[in-house]
Amino acid sequence: MKILSKDKLESVLDKLAESAQVFVPLSRANSSGFYSWENRNPEKEQLMLDTLNVYMSPKNIGFPQTEKMYSIIQSGAEAQIKETFEDSNPRIIFGIRACDARAIRCLDDVFLTRGYTDSFYQARRENMVIIANACYSPGPNCFCAAMGVNPTEPEADIIIRDTGDSGYIWEAQTAKGEELTAGISSLLEEKELKAPEMKPFPTQVDYSGVAEKLKGMFEHPLWEEMAQTCQNCGICTYVCPSCHCFDIQVKSWGDEGYRYRCWDSCMYTEYTAEAGGGNPRPTTKERFRNRFLHKLEFFTERYGYPLCTGCGRCIAACPTGINIVKIIDQVKEASVDD
Amino acid sequence: MKEISNKVKEIANRLLAEGQVDVFLAWEKGDQDYLTRPLAARSVEEAERIVCDEYSIHNLSNYLLKFRDGQEKIGLVVKGCDSRGIIRLLEDKQFTRDRLYIVGVCCPGMNDPLKAIKRNSGLLPWADPEDKADKCSSCAYPNPVIYDELLGSEQQPNVSGERQAKIEEIENLSPDQRYEYFRCEFERCIRCYACRQACVACNCRVCIFDEMRPQWVGRENNETDNMMYHLVRAYHMAGRCVECGECQRVCPVDIPLMLINSKLAKDANEFFGPYEAGIKYQEDSKPALSVYSLDDPDEGFM
Repeated sequence: MKILSKDKLESVLDKLAESAQVFVPLSRANSSGFYSWENRNPEKEQLMLDTLNVYMSPKNIGFPQTEKMYSIIQSGAEAQIKETFEDSNPRIIFGIRACDARAIRCLDDVFLTRGYTDSFYQARRENMVIIANACYSPGPNCFCAAMGVNPTEPEADIIIRDTGDSGYIWEAQTAKGEELTAGISSLLEEKELKAPEMKPFPTQVDYSGVAEKLKGMFEHPLWEEMAQTCQNCGICTYVCPSCHCFDIQVKSWGDEGYRYRCWDSCMYTEYTAEAGGGNPRPTTKERFRNRFLHKLEFFTERYGYPLCTGCGRCIAACPTGINIVKIIDQVKEASVDD
Repeated sequence: MKEISNKVKEIANRLLAEGQVDVFLAWEKGDQDYLTRPLAARSVEEAERIVCDEYSIHNLSNYLLKFRDGQEKIGLVVKGCDSRGIIRLLEDKQFTRDRLYIVGVCCPGMNDPLKAIKRNSGLLPWADPEDKADKCSSCAYPNPVIYDELLGSEQQPNVSGERQAKIEEIENLSPDQRYEYFRCEFERCIRCYACRQACVACNCRVCIFDEMRPQWVGRENNETDNMMYHLVRAYHMAGRCVECGECQRVCPVDIPLMLINSKLAKDANEFFGPYEAGIKYQEDSKPALSVYSLDDPDEGFM
């Protein structure tokens, strides 16, 4: 088998960075996320391949929080598109976990299938190679397996498996992965190493039947109760690797301007504000319900698997301790009138 | 705190049983020692879950905003800093005093559940071994300033001066250096608006940041729009922030928002004072910058 020895890790990342932007899990300030390997500050920022995961998900690499779409120039009553900003520069995400790789599959399904192809997402995604770090030690808030994700077999072009001190097992999974591997083969070794044993999940939850059950729970009093302490900020939606709602807006000065899109959050009042002044989701209850129904019911109905990948970030980030695992438990336990 | 917790539960039970309040806001325990989270109890049964312990850090006065449009009577527990939030709401005419039953708790300083949750998450490079809330390291008002019932023994204020020193350090920077300092801090902002949502002084019915026509602040996550968001919010906090510190505590990217708010409080006091927001409630009292007077010494203002 192919092995990437740990003392060659930096050389491999440097080599990859010659032909693509390489994003790696890094500590930054008091936080962590996927940032550019070549632009890192090695004195202040540490590679975080050995930790469970990073706080900010890699979603922004294919789907940036703010993205210019096109610029406009106006003359008289006519407006013309001056420039379109599709960005197809090659990108490599190195070291993502299975939960986040699954979330990219969610984004792929949303932006590239079912009759509409989002050209901005597609441009970024087509030249993207995903190198995932198989996960053998779930953290306290992890429940990916319960959401149908296999932590040791991430959906990626290449899987690396940390065998401990000596190195990573390197497994190309797709043609893209084979091609990338060929380019760095001189830095890999042929050796036999054993992948670690999978440790048990500290958090147990049973998602089976939840999507089905939720179909009859839109008006259930549970939503009111569960949403009571939600402060209605957007942290959960922005640390989430799979939340993908966006808004398209415009900025203009005189005859020129540009359209951009930016992440939006279903937790915001403005999200469903209507031009006439109405709002179909006027209070926290409706917004909270929508978020969890989208995660656990609507997406499953449309794509066959849930929009929550069990990464546990929202659990770690919610200022009021709202926990999606407990919500699944409560839905399971709730009594529903037939 | 155990004794206080029991007393809070007793009071909640009494108020709910007697129908004196419709809802009682306190906390409940999650499945870890450090997991204390807000609870809105509507019945004696729900009130059985009530706790008030060393992790009861959330400023519950903020939750009153969820009830402002009704007629319901609300009981709630407040610590010193939280109680100033109630004065904010009363002064801002968001609530009338007769709808509230305030249980004040003299606060010895709280732990922050978010610190413990984050330390145990495996997602962050740092791990503060102490759960002691950063915001409690300096506290001018540990004892509630408004209440119907007071629990616990009075605590001594403990003002560390650390934040004032940092404010002075920034005041002494050149304008360019200062800009650079805040640019770096605001660069991390993800525009989740958690600071606004956790803030009791952010009680506008339609927030300027949600307005679409005109759209005062762009939604781009970039230097300009992030800076605009934080500057506009700062303007709205001047003379109104009650320094409960929740904005900074809930910020997922550790922006030092209280540095800005404390500077504003300091300026409000120096320029328009002596003034401190939300320390004493009098009928029709107003925040310093909400007073309109023909005798205003500032000519430009008229």
